[in-house]
Amino acid sequence: MAEMWITMGPQHPMTHGLWTLRVKVDGETVTDTEAELGYIHRGVEKICESRDFTQITPYCDRLCYVSAMTWAHSYIMAAEDLLEAEVPERAEYIRLMAAEVQRLASHLMWLGAFGPDIGNLTLMTWCLRDREMFLDLLQELGGSRMHYNYPRVGGVKRDIPIGWANRLKAKVRLFENRIKEYEMLLDESTIWLVRLQGVGYATAEDQLDAGVTGPNIRAAGVNTDARWTNPYSVYDQVDWEPAVEKPTSVKGADCYDRYRVRMEEMRQSCRMLLDAIEKIPGGANTHYQPGDEMIYTKAPTRAPEGATGFSTYECTRGVSNFYIKGGGDGRGKNPYRLSIRSPMFLTIPYVAKTMIGYKVADIPAIMGSFDPCIGETDR
Amino acid sequence: MGTTITLEQNSEAAKAAAENITARFADAGITAETIAHKGGKKFEYVRITCSPEQWRAVAKHLKNEVGVNHCAMVTGTHYPSGGDRGWEVAYHLHRWPIQNVEAHTMVIHKGEDLKGDDIPMEFEVFIDLPEGDTPSVPSIQDIWEGADWNEKETWDLVGIDFEGHVNMHRVLNPHDSPVGFHPLQRQHKIRYHDFNEMYDDPQGFGRKPVDEGRVK
Repeated sequence: MAEMWITMGPQHPMTHGLWTLRVKVDGETVTDTEAELGYIHRGVEKICESRDFTQITPYCDRLCYVSAMTWAHSYIMAAEDLLEAEVPERAEYIRLMAAEVQRLASHLMWLGAFGPDIGNLTLMTWCLRDREMFLDLLQELGGSRMHYNYPRVGGVKRDIPIGWANRLKAKVRLFENRIKEYEMLLDESTIWLVRLQGVGYATAEDQLDAGVTGPNIRAAGVNTDARWTNPYSVYDQVDWEPAVEKPTSVKGADCYDRYRVRMEEMRQSCRMLLDAIEKIPGGANTHYQPGDEMIYTKAPTRAPEGATGFSTYECTRGVSNFYIKGGGDGRGKNPYRLSIRSPMFLTIPYVAKTMIGYKVADIPAIMGSFDPCIGETDR
Repeated sequence: MGTTITLEQNSEAAKAAAENITARFADAGITAETIAHKGGKKFEYVRITCSPEQWRAVAKHLKNEVGVNHCAMVTGTHYPSGGDRGWEVAYHLHRWPIQNVEAHTMVIHKGEDLKGDDIPMEFEVFIDLPEGDTPSVPSIQDIWEGADWNEKETWDLVGIDFEGHVNMHRVLNPHDSPVGFHPLQRQHKIRYHDFNEMYDDPQGFGRKPVDEGRVK
């Protein structure tokens, strides 16, 4: 049969955002692919050059609405490196908890969007129901449902409210049981297994060479995780282990492994949260006023020319990097150059190439299992 | 947490990597030093400064002898205001403990067991380029696959040419963007909403004085 090009996206449900996957098919088999990005390129890096270091945080929230807190945290780490800021330990604990709650919410959004890709519509309603619990918790911190603008250079905007810790504990305990329900629903569903197993193989070394990191690489059997390889915040003080999955084939991890590793990662986040609540300095049920030295240390607001800040952060989809050069605007109030690397920017072209040889019907399963997010990719 | 990398491990590995690079390239004038992060846990990383001609040799050395296996990001910066450099390209590379992983196995690294080239490390490579309209650096597309789209993006946004890069095309700007339109160059300013810089003034030189107050 003659080969032909099909365009999937930018409005295809498989894309989970706005981008185009051009697929060359021979009958039902994919023989070549091309990814096209840039549909929602907003020029965040350019805008940041004319904003000061506090004003940039909301832009970083909006890089990915599914995991705003982790992106803001990632930026703030680079800004603290640039501005030589100190952070109180209580603030680090609060940031850790906020980031892990966000990770739960993000993975739930991924699972909820991945289910309908595979044909399991129940999953979407279940996941969004549970995600709402965690968004409520984040809303109490940041005041908004999606974009929190919560971390500050040198601490956090405000302390956790009274009773937040108890609500978090109750929700996490409930959610730990819910994970079991999800697994009962999915691991015993023939459709789920048939669609995911044996599809979309990727080995750890190939992925890393192409720039893929995070849960996708941990699914291939290596426990690489920036939370312990480049330790930041207080991840070395709380009780957790990097989630890792033994690949089921010599060809590497398949879609099912990538689903399993994210379920395990949600369990580890729960474990981390319950432990962090016990260990937080100052107690989980005390509330310090905004600006208190327990949660905020005043940091310089200007960076000289030649100063640089760099952060390596385990975002929900992989390792995100921020690189900031100081000395913009002649007075150092703005960054001279701010560069953002989303793990997905390198993952999407890689995934497009791994689809070669599979059927067209496998594309949503393969693409969805890598958890694409276009907001952070296009910036 | 038993698996965390400690400051001592990190500092030892950074020194070893910097010495390795210095020993190999000291004659060529390439400097490698360890720098500590100023925020967070004050971990160290390796900063290398080299010239564009030496870059491919350094990259191959990093990959084969130092174990760098991840090209995280490529950042181009434009310095139009003079000085001894007109452009700068910064590469951020990572070394992760993923070396020779056998298929169908699970590797659980313990932080305290990692030694030598297995200890994770960040590398920062600075390449200064002279002033001019055609900044150019050799491509490392064939050394790390991840550099491919990083370089595409840097060319697209900043206008740095990567010599030898196969299949260079726009990734974030539209495919029909005018030749020479690279929005992160400093002559481009953020404009008011009804001005389409890409089509009305692609090179960014034709700014009218009447724009002055409206430029953000």
